[in-house]
Amino acid sequence: MKQIRKNIGRLALMLCMLFVLLAAYGAYSIITQGNRWFSSSANTYVRSKKKNVIAGDILDANGVLLATTAEGERVYAENEAVRKAAVHMVGDSASNVNNGAESFFSSYLYGFQQSFLERLSFAVKGQPRMGDTVQLTLDSRLAAYVASIFPQGKTGAVVVVNYETGKLLTSQSFPNFDPMNITVEVKRDSQKPFFNRATQGLYAPGSTFKIVTAASALQNMQDATARAFQCTGQLQLGERLITDAGTDLTAGKITQHGQLTLLRAFQVSCNNTFANLALTIGDENLKKTSESFGFNDNFLFRDLVVENSSYPTENRNDGEIAWTGAGQSALTASPLHMCMITAAVANDGVMMEPRILEKVTAANGTVRTEFVPRIYKKPLTQAHAELLTEYMRAVVTGGTGTAAGISGVKVCGKTGSAEIDTQENTNAWFVGFLDEGDSPYALAIVVEDAGGGGSVAAPIAQKIFSWLLQNNPVN
Amino acid sequence: MKEKHRKKRRDPYRLLLSAVMLFYFLGFFMLGIKDGNWESFLLSLVVPAIIFVGTAGIPKLFPADKLLLSLTNFLCALGVLVLYRLSPQRGLSQAFNYGVGVGCMVLCTLVVRYWRHWKWATPLMMGASFFLLMLPLAIGTEKNGAQSWISLGGMSMQPSEIVKLALALSVSYLLSRRRVVLSILFAGVCLLILMLQKDLGTALLYYGVTLILLYAATGNKPLIGAGLLGGAGAAVVGYQMFAHVKRRVAIWLDPWADPSGAGYQIVQSLIAMVNGGVWGVGLGLGNASVIPEYYNDFIFSVILHEFGLIFGLIVLCMYMFIVIRGSMIARRSRTVFHALLAIGCTGLLALQTFVIIGGNIKLIPLTGVTLPFISYGGTSMVSSLCVIGLLQGVASRNEAGVDEDRALAMQGGELE
Repeated sequence: MKQIRKNIGRLALMLCMLFVLLAAYGAYSIITQGNRWFSSSANTYVRSKKKNVIAGDILDANGVLLATTAEGERVYAENEAVRKAAVHMVGDSASNVNNGAESFFSSYLYGFQQSFLERLSFAVKGQPRMGDTVQLTLDSRLAAYVASIFPQGKTGAVVVVNYETGKLLTSQSFPNFDPMNITVEVKRDSQKPFFNRATQGLYAPGSTFKIVTAASALQNMQDATARAFQCTGQLQLGERLITDAGTDLTAGKITQHGQLTLLRAFQVSCNNTFANLALTIGDENLKKTSESFGFNDNFLFRDLVVENSSYPTENRNDGEIAWTGAGQSALTASPLHMCMITAAVANDGVMMEPRILEKVTAANGTVRTEFVPRIYKKPLTQAHAELLTEYMRAVVTGGTGTAAGISGVKVCGKTGSAEIDTQENTNAWFVGFLDEGDSPYALAIVVEDAGGGGSVAAPIAQKIFSWLLQNNPVN
Repeated sequence: MKEKHRKKRRDPYRLLLSAVMLFYFLGFFMLGIKDGNWESFLLSLVVPAIIFVGTAGIPKLFPADKLLLSLTNFLCALGVLVLYRLSPQRGLSQAFNYGVGVGCMVLCTLVVRYWRHWKWATPLMMGASFFLLMLPLAIGTEKNGAQSWISLGGMSMQPSEIVKLALALSVSYLLSRRRVVLSILFAGVCLLILMLQKDLGTALLYYGVTLILLYAATGNKPLIGAGLLGGAGAAVVGYQMFAHVKRRVAIWLDPWADPSGAGYQIVQSLIAMVNGGVWGVGLGLGNASVIPEYYNDFIFSVILHEFGLIFGLIVLCMYMFIVIRGSMIARRSRTVFHALLAIGCTGLLALQTFVIIGGNIKLIPLTGVTLPFISYGGTSMVSSLCVIGLLQGVASRNEAGVDEDRALAMQGGELE
């Protein structure tokens, strides 16, 4: 009987733990995912309550009105260029764009965060309830400028971030559309203008992923910087043949880099060397480094819904592993995530959480919530971040990314030309940053089916960097 | 006379009871004002009256655990209130179930308190259990993929809810007689029949309770380990065999893959939860009826929606207090049979609550078991209250004199 009592005591403790588990899991999931559920388009309750409230304004970092309510209708920025450029960040009243500010911040815009007293004061004054004003970190001037220089008729995305704070200056997807004039053509467009490629588009990162492979080499190979690598131009692994840009086997043309250092291999983006690197480092180690940069993570950012990036885990043979080192294989990442990786290199190895919410102000003027920077991950040591900065600087001074250079300014970057089986041309990538204390900006550009990263994407980066240096954005 | 009066006022349970009665009086009264419905006003008097009888009246008949009674009555009445707000017709019928349930609870208490002849009652119960469990397979109807309901004269019921009681009683008795193998066999056959009914939620419950009882009685770790392994094996087999299990697991892993189709229930449950926020949208002001099965499987989400997260946490704590109280009763019992019976009943309530609330908040895959005391349904209400009745019976025996135990020992019962 004594033993039974003891057993019962243990069982009671276990059963109580079940309830603690319920409460803990419930709290955890509401804190991390509550706003995602709330702002989901499946939420009919919010839709029914929206009628009772005059939705608040959405402003950019300079106070430019991006969205407001006039006579019960949702109205967007006056300037058509701004309206179109900001549409994927702001969203639209019919929620064609998923998770734009219009829907993701609906708990503020539609006054769901108002206390009982605030609601009462509206009732006492006999006014209709006013939602909160939401200020975003965006610079609408930059957005309009980027839209004006992006290749006409091409699809793709551009993300610009302040790497010290994680604030997004712009995050754009092309093609865009006018939220005030959604035509049938826009709805039927095969290029899917509603789709937000910057956050939801999953791309093969191509050679821009060599930043991660290089980081992994620095972490896992003691002599990585000193070792001499040999590029023969062709590397046969099982059924897969690894070649470099410019190689055309039918014409008998083979790009060969010969003997080179890691710096030089990064500078000229040598696939052969990076394929060999991946094999030397090993799949496990490369995966570990990738995961420290956010691959395979479930992104639960407070302000942004970003599609998860993935480091492949299936069918890992030597050929696949080698191609992963060069950024192909089944690797996928969104432009925003590639921008975060670049920003981490720029910010001494510290990756900030990307944020878009600057400030929320209640109708009576009190600040409901305000931007606080938060560190997301620390993938690199400062020494490794400095080395990678040096490598990325070399790409712009004398490598594949010279078109991004600005004289007298420390521009760093990495190009990428990702091969897609279904496309005629490669996807042109450029990720880079300004290594200047006063202008701590990083960007990621992808232009689909357009050609080489150095020739198509790098010149766009050069223009954006110049604009940033001239116009001094508030963030 | 004066002395007695003062003593009554100091009793904390009277204060608690008054507060609970006021809560429900106001709840139904406000619903009455909102909808202008005379039934609400009627219920605002009837429900507090049942609570009063159930909480203050029963301890006058025999020694009973007052805290357990207060908690149980609060939860039952909460079910009536929420159901009435969602659908007056269901609320009224649940109030009736509640009344019947309280009656059955008293009956169960009396049985445990006075019945001595478990030796020949147990084989009878086991036989009846098999018969009842087989019934749905023969004449039952399929509902949500499980064939566990039967209709009798226009009333539908779920035999497995009633057999639950027989399981707790028989296994406890067999184990107290050290008939370990027989008890495992009995539980195993019940489980097999439930698997055939494809009622995996209830099967999980039976399995859990049997394991709990085995551990309490024997403390035999290899045996429990083998039981856990067997359970895991059965889960894998169930997953492979039943398409609707595979579907539910897939929905659990990612309900957002198809938020308007397969994942609709869970997605709406989660959304209703966050819509309520910390303080809830208010009784009668929500739109929780967008969740399918809101009156049954998802009633906890409705409570979170209208009363808020803090209140939901309080409800969770109430269930936990019932579990703690039940375990205390088990530890205090003087015979092995009663100790096992009490921990078995406690385990039943705890597991059932965990399985359904865990399903609501996407902690585990959703299985169709009811939330004890609150979910709509006569069988569920009666069986939950009967479980409490059994617990009360043990509590009442603990209070009774040692003489009775002696008498029991003479008849073959076991003393400490």
